[in-house]
Amino acid sequence: MSALVEIKGLTKHFPIKGGLFQRQTGSVQAVTDVSFSIKKGETLGLVGESGCGKSTLGRCLIRLLEPTSGQIFFEGKDITNLKGEALRSLRRKMQIIFQDPYASLNPRMTVGSIISEPLEIHRIGESKRDRINRVQELLEVVGLRKEAAFRYPHEFSGGQRQRIGIARALAVQPELIVCDEPVSALDVSIQAQVINLLMDLQQKFGLTYLFIAHDLKVVEHISTRVAVMYLGRIVEMAESEELYKHPQHPYTQALLSAIPVPKVGGKKQRVILTGDVPSPVNPPSGCYFNPRCPIADGGCKVTQPELLTTRPQHETRCLKVSAQL
Amino acid sequence: MNPILEVKNLRTKFTTHDGSFYAVDDISFKVYEGKTLGLVGESGCGKSVSSLSVMRLIPSPPGVIESGEIIFKGRDLLKLSMDEMRSIRGNQIGMIFQEPMTSLNPVFTIGDQIEESLKLHKKDLSGKQIRERAIDMIRLVGIPSPEKRFFDYPHQLSGGMRQRVMIAMALSCSPDLLIADEPTTALDVTIQAQILELIKKLQTELNTAMILITHDLGVVAETCHEVAVMYAGKIVEYGTVEEIFNSPQHPYTKGLLNSVPHFETGSRRKKLETIPGIVPSLVNLPPGCRFSDRCGFKTDICSKQEPKLETHGGHLTACHNPVGAP
Ligand SMILES: Nc1ncnc2c1ncn2[C@@H]1O[C@H](COP(=O)(O)OP(=O)(O)OP(=O)(O)O)[C@@H](O)[C@H]1O
Ligand SMILES: Nc1ncnc2c1ncn2[C@@H]1O[C@H](COP(=O)(O)OP(=O)(O)OP(=O)(O)O)[C@@H](O)[C@H]1O
Ligand code: SF4
Ligand SMILES: [Mg+2]
Ligand SMILES: [Mg+2]
Repeated sequence: MSALVEIKGLTKHFPIKGGLFQRQTGSVQAVTDVSFSIKKGETLGLVGESGCGKSTLGRCLIRLLEPTSGQIFFEGKDITNLKGEALRSLRRKMQIIFQDPYASLNPRMTVGSIISEPLEIHRIGESKRDRINRVQELLEVVGLRKEAAFRYPHEFSGGQRQRIGIARALAVQPELIVCDEPVSALDVSIQAQVINLLMDLQQKFGLTYLFIAHDLKVVEHISTRVAVMYLGRIVEMAESEELYKHPQHPYTQALLSAIPVPKVGGKKQRVILTGDVPSPVNPPSGCYFNPRCPIADGGCKVTQPELLTTRPQHETRCLKVSAQL
Repeated sequence: MNPILEVKNLRTKFTTHDGSFYAVDDISFKVYEGKTLGLVGESGCGKSVSSLSVMRLIPSPPGVIESGEIIFKGRDLLKLSMDEMRSIRGNQIGMIFQEPMTSLNPVFTIGDQIEESLKLHKKDLSGKQIRERAIDMIRLVGIPSPEKRFFDYPHQLSGGMRQRVMIAMALSCSPDLLIADEPTTALDVTIQAQILELIKKLQTELNTAMILITHDLGVVAETCHEVAVMYAGKIVEYGTVEEIFNSPQHPYTKGLLNSVPHFETGSRRKKLETIPGIVPSLVNLPPGCRFSDRCGFKTDICSKQEPKLETHGGHLTACHNPVGAP
């Protein structure tokens, strides 16, 4: 099957300006040289620690942010420089669900108008009646009562607000949804409800997801493939189960071993990383992970590793791993 | 063995414009030297209110500790004056809060802040001894070059470093009891693993009793000796960590355990088990069992009579129809 979206060498560096003349004094290297593709109906999971560039990448992908360089293809067409009406009609096909169900809904609008807003923007539906019907249908799809349309966001719980956000994203019948930490702010029991809903909707409507989260357990569960990011770069990418069973990159291994599991007794070998995540303004030389890496040697301080195939359908960016091939 | 802390039948009430409700409703628990009690449950179930009640830090109004006893080393904290409480807080009971940035003062260096609590509680130490002790604490929590870091302001530190400073402050007076309210929730997993490891190590070295508040069942399984599961202001299940995880009795505990995704082969992209519905509002609880409107094991009695916390399968559970081993 062909790719629905594909990015090549995507880079986003935010300039840092300072001084009297607001000259550029440096840059935040939020995303550097990321390439991947997502097939129709697939879920690509994106994990990594806070600030590693996940949201920036998600936003560039759907053209909410201008990339510094690189290309984005949608249904085989280069959309990197699309503008005006062409961009507007593309937006319909690519939607986003945000992390914070509280901040992302306008508190002064009823749920009904929140969901029908994108319908109006994209001039979908012949009449007001059509739109009302569509809103009611959408509420039903995400498991809310029809009466919800007349109420305001503050009258709903976190999980219900996230459902409203999902209904709004679905309103325009998108092909691709970037889910940016859609369950991170929710309680466990509610998190499971929303994850199930997202998987159901994917099946029903053939949706394609880029699913962003920092919780590897959640990402692994919902994704077909997983990409692990560290300081703006992808360091490992493989099918979900393969990544879990055969993590290659020392960062992925540490991440997996750091996750506390709700089981007693099964004491596992834990890799505790020392040090903090370095700053994307001033990344270390050589491999970005070298200052925290338990297996780094002299070469890692000098040479920047490339993302290479280290097992079938499995890519890793690590000098030590590729040296063993 | 006698517990360091014994909370008996604690009820804490809030009165707001929505009405009044018990955020903590008749809860009892014990904490022992060198051991960790985990308080778990979803947002709003009363975890923080329980610990703030122990510290007598409930804002009043709107809150009031209505009844109960909080026996700490043989004395009922509820009977102490505010002055006596102040000398216990930070000295014999240390506390780590969830959001380190709001609990550290941005205008003082971290060294000043650690010294401050030592000056307040350890009046027999000289200025030099206090300085040494503060630097030792910064070293103890694994911050490199403590002599230099002493002069840093909170904003110069990463989230993980700030949390270490909070731990250094909480432990500087060698408290008998440490209350940690979601100490790692705001942190990345690799940093969380560092901090939890540190807390465990220090606890063993200093033999501190601890209450660890979290909503993360993984953190509980790996850090706690005993666990109290809370739901809507009540403790619904209470036992050792093995009992809770290996043979949960309450349908809510079981539901919580099943709704977290596991890394199991073949479980990927399958439906997760869920607990239907949402947590009830404390001003409008369902009659009888508070979990009855979401429970799959509900029978007639459940909406008529509130279940008591009683022994089922070897530990305490508040349920008319305990579910037994999984
Ligand atoms: N508009 C902006 N201007 C300057 N820097 C930015 C901007 N947006 C993001 N950044 C920086 O880019 C880096 C990546 O941020 P991003 O929000 O993509 O991270 P993330 O992986 O989504 O993190 P989190 O898990 O905390 O949401 C961070 O260092 C962030 O501070
Ligand atoms: N100062 C206050 N005024 C009014 N109500 C309060 C106050 N503090 C807490 N409550 C209420 O008491 C209940 C218990 O709150 P508590 O903070 O203990 O929850 P929690 O279990 O710590 O939740 P979380 O996991 O979100 O921290 C909630 O319904 C909350 O709204
Ligand atoms: S008492 Fe009844 S409703 Fe409550 S948890 Fe037990 S079975 Fe469910
Ligand atoms: Mg983000
Ligand atoms: Mg709390």
